[in-house]
Amino acid sequence: MSTATEPSTPHPVRVATRLPFWSAVGTVFSLEMRQRLRGRGWYWMLGIWFVVIGFIFVLGTSLLGTTDNEGGILFDLVVGFVLLFGLLVAPGLSANAINGDRAGGTLAILQVTLLTPAELLAGKWLASWVGSLAFLVLSSPFIFWALALGGVNAQEAFVSLLMLAVELGIVCAIGVGVSGIANRPLFSIVSTYMLVALLAIGTVIVFGLSTTLVMEERTMTTSYYTYTESSLDNMGAPEAGAEMECVTQTSQGMIPHTEYIAWLLAANPFVVVADAVPYGTEGLPDEAGPDPVPGDGPYYTPGIMESISQGVRAAQAGPDLDQTCEELAQSLRPLPQKAPIWPLGLGIQLVLAAGLLLVSRRRLTMPAKRLAQGTRIA
Amino acid sequence: MTDEFGGIVVEGVARSFGSVQAVRDIDFEAPPGEVTALIGPNGSGKTTLLLILASLLAPDLGTVRVAGFDPVSQPGEVRSRVGWMPDTLGMWESLTALEVLTTLGALYGMSMADRSRRANELLAAVNLTEFGRQPARVLSRGQQQRLSLARSLIHDPQVLLLDEPASGLDPGSRVELRSLLRSLAAEGKTVVVSSHVLSELDEIADRAVFVSRGQSVKSQTLDEAGSQVRRYYVQAQPMSALAAALESYGVRFETRGDSRRAEFLVQLGSTAEAAWLLRTLVMGDVVVTAFAPAGGALEETYMSLDTDRR
Repeated sequence: MSTATEPSTPHPVRVATRLPFWSAVGTVFSLEMRQRLRGRGWYWMLGIWFVVIGFIFVLGTSLLGTTDNEGGILFDLVVGFVLLFGLLVAPGLSANAINGDRAGGTLAILQVTLLTPAELLAGKWLASWVGSLAFLVLSSPFIFWALALGGVNAQEAFVSLLMLAVELGIVCAIGVGVSGIANRPLFSIVSTYMLVALLAIGTVIVFGLSTTLVMEERTMTTSYYTYTESSLDNMGAPEAGAEMECVTQTSQGMIPHTEYIAWLLAANPFVVVADAVPYGTEGLPDEAGPDPVPGDGPYYTPGIMESISQGVRAAQAGPDLDQTCEELAQSLRPLPQKAPIWPLGLGIQLVLAAGLLLVSRRRLTMPAKRLAQGTRIA
Repeated sequence: MTDEFGGIVVEGVARSFGSVQAVRDIDFEAPPGEVTALIGPNGSGKTTLLLILASLLAPDLGTVRVAGFDPVSQPGEVRSRVGWMPDTLGMWESLTALEVLTTLGALYGMSMADRSRRANELLAAVNLTEFGRQPARVLSRGQQQRLSLARSLIHDPQVLLLDEPASGLDPGSRVELRSLLRSLAAEGKTVVVSSHVLSELDEIADRAVFVSRGQSVKSQTLDEAGSQVRRYYVQAQPMSALAAALESYGVRFETRGDSRRAEFLVQLGSTAEAAWLLRTLVMGDVVVTAFAPAGGALEETYMSLDTDRR
């Protein structure tokens, strides 16, 4: 071609001044996904993920071969690890969404179009969420394997996976929000990791430290089973077939009233997932039989996530100041859920993510009145 | 005034970044149907002004009208009418050239059919048709520059803001850029070009606005620039004969120091004066081997403004 001329426009191009929200979000989403699918990094992460989850699963299977709750424990293990690794992967997928584009010089090209900051953020968030959900999908062989072993009811499985997806979405939202606020990708990725660590580890540390604040001196009655004096031989070992008796004793001491501070744990992603899941009670030892003595019936071993759920419920319940022998017999059964704590936790996380996204949206609104130190629009 | 027919009117615009006053006081006018050059040394506020016009930066002071709209209060109206080509090359590297254009078309609310038709037309216009299905990362710098130009034209904007569009282009592409910009102006579009390549602008621009240290220091049309006092360089064989002839006619000259050839610079008030001098020299049997304007018309203005380059 020898001469360049402005292409003729027989029908003039019609241009709006505002885009339909979802079509704009969809355009940003497909722009992001195309780049991700054509890059190498994502596939490497997926591959490493699959190997690690597989390794942990196989290791778990071989160690748990004899336990009766194998399916439940393995399922819980996969859910726990998918959440743990998801918390590590999601910031990497989301926390350079905006400032990475700014560094690459493509952000201003988007900002000069009719795209609004909210549409840009929504598209970026959706793309990073879908990107991290792929990791969940990739774990499905192990999830189905664990489910096939039995012991997990459909509701438990469904809610577990749903909450995993929700938590990944929240971490992605935090990451995208931070990336719109921080200037440099490295800084925003580290900041997002810090925020996630604050939720996952910080809440536990604060809870632990706060127990000293809620210590109170109380008289406490505890009960425990022991062998009767007469059933012990001269070496102090119980004779075969010896009876056990329940002993109740009263003592004074400092007791942490964890029920006052249990809410501190709420925003922990593991707590949100574990607390939301309705763990099935079938297959457990029956309601207190005529003489429920520990060691007689089958033990129920909860998985990792269910243990977290139980721990939170115990913290919510606080110390039992008057434990009778009857209660002791019941104590091997899982604690029932009194007040769900996960809505609070999810609420805290949503407020955090929404706050970051709102600040980010304001930063992205053009024409810019104020620019952060050392940044150039283009 | 310009509100009715588009174009750009900027009055008393100022913008600072912290303590750095990037734009102090710029008055600027770019009528539709003309190519307006924005000329100034590095750091004089050209890019900042273009960002303000593209509705990416809010001015601290002053009024701005782009195609009749205020970029601050009516950014949507402005954005749908403005095409902006930044001086930095940012492109989604894994996307093909065609995808880059159609994605941007979608973000201007164009229909699927519109944007793919327009994208193909523009790729042909910037000679990138064969790269349409190649990822943008394989494009050379000049090709990326051309893709960036096509991108800024995707929604058929009334106002085109080009920040250093010629940098990185080979001579052939520059010629094509020139004819593309001329044809856009002929269609009645407002074209603003910032550039350092003043000889380029001589041939493209209808008018020029000179900025220095964030201030607009001069605004002139190319016709005005052409009729001002200009310097010509003259070479002859031998130079001593030329020197003697010039002295006898009372024409002042200086020896040009920044060229590897020996040549004299003379300052002449008009083209008629230049024609007289050449004729007189030739008639006087001086063997003139070269006689030409020392620089473009805009370069003359630029040098005469005595702006300190930073």
